[in-house]
Amino acid sequence: MNGNEIAAKDDALFRSIEYTGKNFYYAVGIFVTVIAFAAFLYLGQIISGLGVTGMAQPVSWGFYIVNFVFFIGISHAGTLISAILRLSKAEWRRPITRMAEVITAIVLAIGGLHPILDLGQPGRIWHLATSGRLQSPLLWDVTSITAYFAASTVYLFLPLIPDIAILRDRGTKPRWLYQFLSWGWQGTPKQHKVLDRTINILMIGVIPIAVSVHTVISYIFAMTVQPGWHSTIFGPYFVVGAIFSGIAALLIVMIVFRRVYHLENYLKEIHFSYLSILLLIMSLLWFYFTFCEYLTTHYGNEPDEMRVFFYKFSGDFAPYFWAMIVCNFIIPVAILSNKKTRKIKGILFASFTVLIGMWLERLIIVVPSLANPRLGYPTGIYIPSITEWALFAGGIAVFMLGFLLFAKFFPLISVWEIQEGRASSIKEVAHRLRSYLPDELEEDDIKKALH
Amino acid sequence: MPRWGMVIDLNTCTGCGECAAACKIENNVAIVGPEESDMGRTMLWMDMLTEYEGEYPDVKIRYIPRPCLHCDDPPCTRVCPVRATYLNDEGIVAQIFPQCIGCRYCMAACPYTVKSFNWYRPEWPDTMESALNPDVSARPAGVVEKCTFCIHRLQKAKEQAAAENRDLRDGDYIPACAEACPTKAITFGDFEDPKTEVSRLRRTARAFRLLEELGTEPKVYYLYEVE
Amino acid sequence: MSSKTIKFLQYASIAWIWIFVLSVDIWIISLLIVARRLHDAINASVGIGIIAIPLFLLIASALTYVFFGLQKHREVDETRHGSL
Repeated sequence: MNGNEIAAKDDALFRSIEYTGKNFYYAVGIFVTVIAFAAFLYLGQIISGLGVTGMAQPVSWGFYIVNFVFFIGISHAGTLISAILRLSKAEWRRPITRMAEVITAIVLAIGGLHPILDLGQPGRIWHLATSGRLQSPLLWDVTSITAYFAASTVYLFLPLIPDIAILRDRGTKPRWLYQFLSWGWQGTPKQHKVLDRTINILMIGVIPIAVSVHTVISYIFAMTVQPGWHSTIFGPYFVVGAIFSGIAALLIVMIVFRRVYHLENYLKEIHFSYLSILLLIMSLLWFYFTFCEYLTTHYGNEPDEMRVFFYKFSGDFAPYFWAMIVCNFIIPVAILSNKKTRKIKGILFASFTVLIGMWLERLIIVVPSLANPRLGYPTGIYIPSITEWALFAGGIAVFMLGFLLFAKFFPLISVWEIQEGRASSIKEVAHRLRSYLPDELEEDDIKKALH
Repeated sequence: MPRWGMVIDLNTCTGCGECAAACKIENNVAIVGPEESDMGRTMLWMDMLTEYEGEYPDVKIRYIPRPCLHCDDPPCTRVCPVRATYLNDEGIVAQIFPQCIGCRYCMAACPYTVKSFNWYRPEWPDTMESALNPDVSARPAGVVEKCTFCIHRLQKAKEQAAAENRDLRDGDYIPACAEACPTKAITFGDFEDPKTEVSRLRRTARAFRLLEELGTEPKVYYLYEVE
Repeated sequence: MSSKTIKFLQYASIAWIWIFVLSVDIWIISLLIVARRLHDAINASVGIGIIAIPLFLLIASALTYVFFGLQKHREVDETRHGSL
């Protein structure tokens, strides 16, 4: 098998790697500028202390923790969705899984570093290594995020090996990189067997890890006795929100890069339609969880809980709360449940509102509970400072830069899986279909049906 | 092993705030500027809670001096990722400033909101800089701090008792707030010893604790005011 | 870059993954010891340890299995261009 011949058909997938336009450098320049600005302000924060943020007492957690939860949530796009699609043998997954996995790896790294931005003494982070305590939910986070990061990078890398080998065989530069990373892949049947077996093990293993990560993040809040946080529903609520925002992020990335790299042949309307139905389901599920969470609080009518409740429903945070409901539920349901609006543009718009809505949700979970402590304290105020906004923008810029650089070196769509799909999946699906049906179908019937 | 605790009589407390002031000076608590203070960054180990009961014009104002309540089952120590805060053998919830990484999880977990954070490096007016208490360590920026029941005074009292070759007596160890209170509303002592004044007071019918229903078992008791 | 160097780098990266995974596991074990010393909630710590320690080993094993599996099942045709 020669990669050159096989891949010729899919040249479009290599264009981003082998051809570098001016726009690429402009984009990198912009992102690097944003990151540099954020890094500069962060340096200021290290030098003078967390006073440069808008945090105070009692709102002692702000954007950094909000963004931590938000970014880690987005990271569920990837591995979880791609693992579930692979596991359920959804054939339409083929051009999607890679992008989902890349999002996971990059965003997880960004999100995982956010608690460090939040530390008053980041230089003492090694105390976690020498005298960390596993009974603190923060340590649960450190462990599960490390595990998820390790698992999801491996899960990104393994299905990438055959593609790297194709790049190596095409002679793409830097050659040593592809030689180094392709691990001697030649596409022999036995090599395929080894790879497939490992991917299968990993895709099953990665699902519980992904679920555990966001469950454990919710535990940071749920394990305290604070009003608005101490809730048994938080684990699944966070996981659902994470998958929800993850799908939205995946859709945006798919739409943007389809346009930039002209991948219309690979990412078709049907892919967006299927994924957006998943988004719609998650929207309904998210609303169901939100409804459960707040109805129980309201009916219970516990005074401290109600203070937080009304702070969200009609108090200072009401604009954000209702914006969240509109962004996460009303707009996506309105757009996505209608076949006429469930087009690329509509999906893009709905995905954006979902991202905004989910970010608001994280804000609404973190701040109001802190702003309304028990006892006779005045209500806290939180106005994020320029440093916090800059680091937020910096986080997004790191993601975009990371994604762009990945696309510069590796194909964003799994070439070999597309080829495998072309070569064998029609037959495979036909056989699978036959096994579903009540009557015995002959090969001829299948052939007839196909034509 | 003694278990140190405090009883605050709300009947004799006038809400003058002397305890809060004495605490600030005793423990080298940083003084923040008015702008920072408006943001909510005032640092008070001993705070004065004001509770309003009823509607105007029939308002009753209640002042509640609030140190750290030194819970026997503290929600803050449980969540600390590096054991920078812990319950010591004598029931004091202690802070280890050089160990704290500044994640502020304990602040978020404390239902009484007693903890303060050093948002900047602590500063004092020039005249006060020379009057800092040498017994209390200065904190760097970025660590959490709170009332320690003036644990340095316990150290001193123990050394004094050892030098005089005797056991610690009731009244040997008194935090700055209790010492400064002009109406003697704050009593401090050993809960284990049934003969101490605090042990007697905390068993009276007027005694209550803040947010008792949370099961944190605070060791600061209050006595209801009588009409 | 010569194929020898690349080969060396490949083995080095596998070794590095094992170093990473083993150090994470050693870290978790040391946290268990800390938890015992400080009388923390030991059952929670053990629970986390039981899941996390084998998990990291599994991840590293999967990678190692793939690496050596791919090396073993190569067609012995070193003349082919870029067959590393």
